[in-house]
Amino acid sequence: MTQLVLGQVLNGAIIGAMYGIIALGITLTFGITGIVNFALGEFMMIGAYATYALAERGLPYPVAVVPACLIAAAAGYLSNKAFFRFTRNNLVNGLLVSIGLISIFESAALLLWTATPLEMSYVLPGAIRLGDVGLPKMKLVVFGVIVVVIVGTYVALARTWLGRAAFAYAQNPEAAQLMGVHTPRLETAVMLYSTGLAGLGGALYASLYSLEPAMGGVYVLKGMEAAILGGIGSLMGSLWGGVILGIIEAVGSIFLPTAFRDAYGLAVLVAILLFRPSGLFGSE
Amino acid sequence: MKLGITLFVLLAALPLAVRSDFVLTIFIFTFIYGILAVTFDLIFGFTGQLSMFHPAVFGVSAYSTHLLVVHAGLPFWLATLPSAAGAVLLAVVVGSICFKFRLKTFYFAVVTLAFAEMIRLIVLNWNSVTNGTLGLVVSGRPTFWWPGAGWVAVRGPVAWYYVTLVALAVTVLVCVRVLHSWMGRCFAAIRLNEDLARTLGVDVFRYKLLSFAVGSALASFAGGLYGYYTGYIDPGYLGINQSMEILAMVLLGGQGTLAGPIVGSLILTGLPHVIDLRGELRAMLYGAILIFAILVMPRGIVGSLVAWRARRAA
Repeated sequence: MTQLVLGQVLNGAIIGAMYGIIALGITLTFGITGIVNFALGEFMMIGAYATYALAERGLPYPVAVVPACLIAAAAGYLSNKAFFRFTRNNLVNGLLVSIGLISIFESAALLLWTATPLEMSYVLPGAIRLGDVGLPKMKLVVFGVIVVVIVGTYVALARTWLGRAAFAYAQNPEAAQLMGVHTPRLETAVMLYSTGLAGLGGALYASLYSLEPAMGGVYVLKGMEAAILGGIGSLMGSLWGGVILGIIEAVGSIFLPTAFRDAYGLAVLVAILLFRPSGLFGSE
Repeated sequence: MKLGITLFVLLAALPLAVRSDFVLTIFIFTFIYGILAVTFDLIFGFTGQLSMFHPAVFGVSAYSTHLLVVHAGLPFWLATLPSAAGAVLLAVVVGSICFKFRLKTFYFAVVTLAFAEMIRLIVLNWNSVTNGTLGLVVSGRPTFWWPGAGWVAVRGPVAWYYVTLVALAVTVLVCVRVLHSWMGRCFAAIRLNEDLARTLGVDVFRYKLLSFAVGSALASFAGGLYGYYTGYIDPGYLGINQSMEILAMVLLGGQGTLAGPIVGSLILTGLPHVIDLRGELRAMLYGAILIFAILVMPRGIVGSLVAWRARRAA
């Protein structure tokens, strides 16, 4: 039983951290540029399939992750230039353009790789034993990478010039411009970072679970739930929201029927909104 | 209004001139999807609430109408009424939760989408009633009383053409009455500026819920008709793709108009029949149309035409 619960908590934390990465990307993009990128899950899908395709052509996994992130970021850059920048400060249009993009990317993936789930060969087999609990090594590595990325994001936002410029821009775009923030460049940087991060999430996902073209749509929905759960606008809140959501789903499916695992997170979300309308970590 | 009646008469006369099953089939699908698109536009275009809950209402009422006919022995038309009541109940529950927490625009869309997914999961996994992924085969037919012939079943494209045309016309008529009443004005006030509407004494919660409930009740008829027309119901009825198609129809035709969704429905249901496309390419095309409509032609075909005529008149 301990094995089962602990294993599921780790599973949930990893999946939840992926929700969190998507939620962070959505919150960051919206907070700073006023653009809703609801298609972020698709960039995760692109990262995952790119990793798979590169690894299949003989690239070792750790090497394949880097171009996969770059491909996702490039796709994000192009989508921003072509579509997203026209939807600034219009949430509904952003959402609708994203839905269009989701459908285009997903169909493209279906045409290229069909709907059959794909599995990558084991990158790092084996497990670490802690007493009578076994934890797969790859999952621990992925978890470590995600933690590093999250801490890095936090430090970058709080300490670097670009991070502070981003906060300044979010608070008052005109004042930030007067203080010498080059806003188009900032917007591009945020878009590249959020989509590249989603690509990294996808690359990590590819090493653990099987890939399907529809995965992006699922993840963005969860990411959005996580963002609402954590409190809109709170960067760390969205990450925590993701992890909590992932763990609730994973642990919930031990005790309750698995078919409804998507519903447990939602039920908790509604319950939390009842008592804290601004989310767990939201201000106001 | 005059234009609407002329169009209705023209459409009613169409089967006299065109006997091709191919054309009639396109129109039948257009009319059924037209009901969905018009009622969605009532919620989205006229009240400003981007709901993703429409496919859930559509799918659930397709199932409930069929199950009521099979298990309770009700005739089709009588079975649509409890189905509509069920749709209203669903809409009121989901709507109250969303509107109570003042979820707006994007957040409203996401939460309704999540609820729709939850309902899809229930339908998908409730094997004993819904037969899971395999779906249900609908073998019955709606009947109605015809002078001189007694009770006849709806059979063949021409009969279905008229049934769906009348259903669409009734839906549009109800929408026109609602929109031209005090309700329509409250909807518009909420769409244009919710805070101002509240200040002016519009009960925002009540009218949002009303719009959501009326739209869902009318959409439920589309579900019942669609199941009986195609003879088959599966959980795909509740999928996100349906939301996409309805959205694409409304945006392409013109949001905030009653003619727009029907024009959009005609184009998007006609297109795949005229040019044969694989499913994936079709989804891609819908996505492209959606983006095109938003960024290049935000008012849609009908909206742009109206604006063009107004400019010419001025």
